[in-house]
Amino acid sequence: MTRADAPLTTTPSSALLEVRAVSKSFGGLHVLRAVDLTIARGSITGLIGPNGAGKSTLFNIVSGFLAPDRGDVIYHGRPIGRISVVDRSRAGLVRTFQTPQVFGHLTVRENLVAGCHKLGRSGMLADMLGLPLARRELAQMQRRAALTAARFSLEPVADVLAGKLPVGQQRLLELARAAIADPELLCLDEPSSGLNGDEVDQLARMLTQLNEEGMTVFLVSHDMELMGCAATVNVLCFGETIASGPFAAVKADPRVREAYLGA
Amino acid sequence: MSVEPIRAPAAALLTHRHLRRLVGATLALAGIAIWAALPQVLSRGTVDLLVFTALYAIAGLGVAFLLGQCGIVSLAQSVFYGIGAYATAYCCTTWGWPWYAALVIGMVISGATALVIGWPVLRLSGYFLALATLALATIGHVLFLEWDWLTGGTLGVGGIPQISLFGLVLNTPQKFYYFIWPLAALIYWLLYNLLHSRSGYAMRAMRDAPAAALVLGIDVHKLKVRIFVLSALLGSLAGSLFANYVSFVSVDSFGVDRAVSFLLLAVVGGAQSVIGPLFGAAFVTLVPNLLSRVGDVHPLLFAGVLVVAVIFLPQGMGGLVTTLWRRLWPPAPPAPGSGT
Ligand SMILES: Nc1ncnc2c1ncn2[C@@H]1O[C@H](COP(=O)(O)OP(=O)(O)O)[C@@H](O)[C@H]1O
Ligand SMILES: [Mg+2]
Repeated sequence: MTRADAPLTTTPSSALLEVRAVSKSFGGLHVLRAVDLTIARGSITGLIGPNGAGKSTLFNIVSGFLAPDRGDVIYHGRPIGRISVVDRSRAGLVRTFQTPQVFGHLTVRENLVAGCHKLGRSGMLADMLGLPLARRELAQMQRRAALTAARFSLEPVADVLAGKLPVGQQRLLELARAAIADPELLCLDEPSSGLNGDEVDQLARMLTQLNEEGMTVFLVSHDMELMGCAATVNVLCFGETIASGPFAAVKADPRVREAYLGA
Repeated sequence: MSVEPIRAPAAALLTHRHLRRLVGATLALAGIAIWAALPQVLSRGTVDLLVFTALYAIAGLGVAFLLGQCGIVSLAQSVFYGIGAYATAYCCTTWGWPWYAALVIGMVISGATALVIGWPVLRLSGYFLALATLALATIGHVLFLEWDWLTGGTLGVGGIPQISLFGLVLNTPQKFYYFIWPLAALIYWLLYNLLHSRSGYAMRAMRDAPAAALVLGIDVHKLKVRIFVLSALLGSLAGSLFANYVSFVSVDSFGVDRAVSFLLLAVVGGAQSVIGPLFGAAFVTLVPNLLSRVGDVHPLLFAGVLVVAVIFLPQGMGGLVTTLWRRLWPPAPPAPGSGT
């Protein structure tokens, strides 16, 4: 056995994130029961399950908004239970939300600039005085925002207030903003809900592209449309993982068909 | 001065931008000229009100920044205004310190107080946070009253020396006017920079969607505490200068009503724009004075004017000015086909 604070655990080097026997209940409601899950470095890993299965709760635990009652989240081979959301983000773990959380009173461009926050380091004093360092960093952030806007086809709406966008574009913006600082692990909570068919196709293309560039993607959805691009799919049902493997195999699993497809 | 006739779209764009700059510069120059001439033509009493406008604009800018950029309602500014004023009163009269040393001490104490109080209190949000700051203002007022060795209690502290700059004593409203307004302008410039910087984006991000800000690596709590401290520093600065200016401070100046008027000026002026609190400060200092000429009903009238202002100018006066400026001189000519 390795100690918890040892630099390396027995984690196989291919796992970027591991959820180990995580349980969570709200009052008497057991939302997660000893959930295990592994996200391989460089993969697109899916998590599906009916509404109320506990997917968003698991997401909140992975990203640090909630603490698990029992179990561990291991990132880069280290338990991160005591690490804050902000520090997880700085370590490259970034998520989106089931209801899009754009900065409504900022334009799309400004949302993207804000997304670059952790790439800079100028302090408030330097910012107030408009010192060269602060100006240079802001200019870099703005350039990066422009490139990202172009890449995600957000250029036509770059100067629109994000709060005024239709939900599909808000989701796209949230994805672009999450991806702009090159996270290592990008976690997406129901990125396809509220999108039309074309938008879902575009989303799948973007995710595959980001993944090819080396980003690990953790994808949560209650529907199966997007799961085609995932190498491994986990199925969560009533707080337990009932299947895990390639999408085709999971789809054929009788327990999954019974529990999830209602067949 | 002639403007080139519009020939081609490119030329039109150029001319438009130049024209906009030109008008802006002309307005700014005219503004400065009027600003410089005002003390020569206005009565001493009115210049005195304009000095107070600047003092309130500095303290109120702190409150407005918290409100407009971070979504924090603070009723605690009177405390920091008071700390600044008493630091100046005490250090200058008891120890004979120069005004700037006392001002710095006041800001250090205010900043430290804001840090120690802000750290736990800013974990609250919404109404609870507003109530906590109100409690702070009340406690501050009581302490100012109780600690009479420092504050002179209800009797106050008198004989605070006036500011002297390079041998020139600022002993009239006119002289103080020429000192305080450039200082206010400097502070507005600093905060304008801040708002349009990396930190400024982080603040507005935090205001609009705190959870998303966290995920992007913005330390929301730390940022709130920093801005609270910054706001306290502005309050303290204004309080210190106030003490030097009026030479006498008493506990009446640092009650909850003063905190309310700082918040009021932020709301009326418009907390989203940096320039807004300036208009708000003018409103809360000049309007009651104008109305008082009508007679005893003036507090009622002021309340009425206030309600009208808030209803018709949801973005505050700063918002109105920004909108008017954009409407008169849009940043770029409307795209073809978009109509006017
Ligand atoms: N903060 C909370 N307090 C109480 N119950 C919660 C809370 N968050 C989620 N739940 C409950 O946990 C269950 C799982 O929710 P969730 O994780 O959002 O599911 P999913 O994302 O899979 O649809 C639901 O029954 C939900 O009502
Ligand atoms: Mg969910």
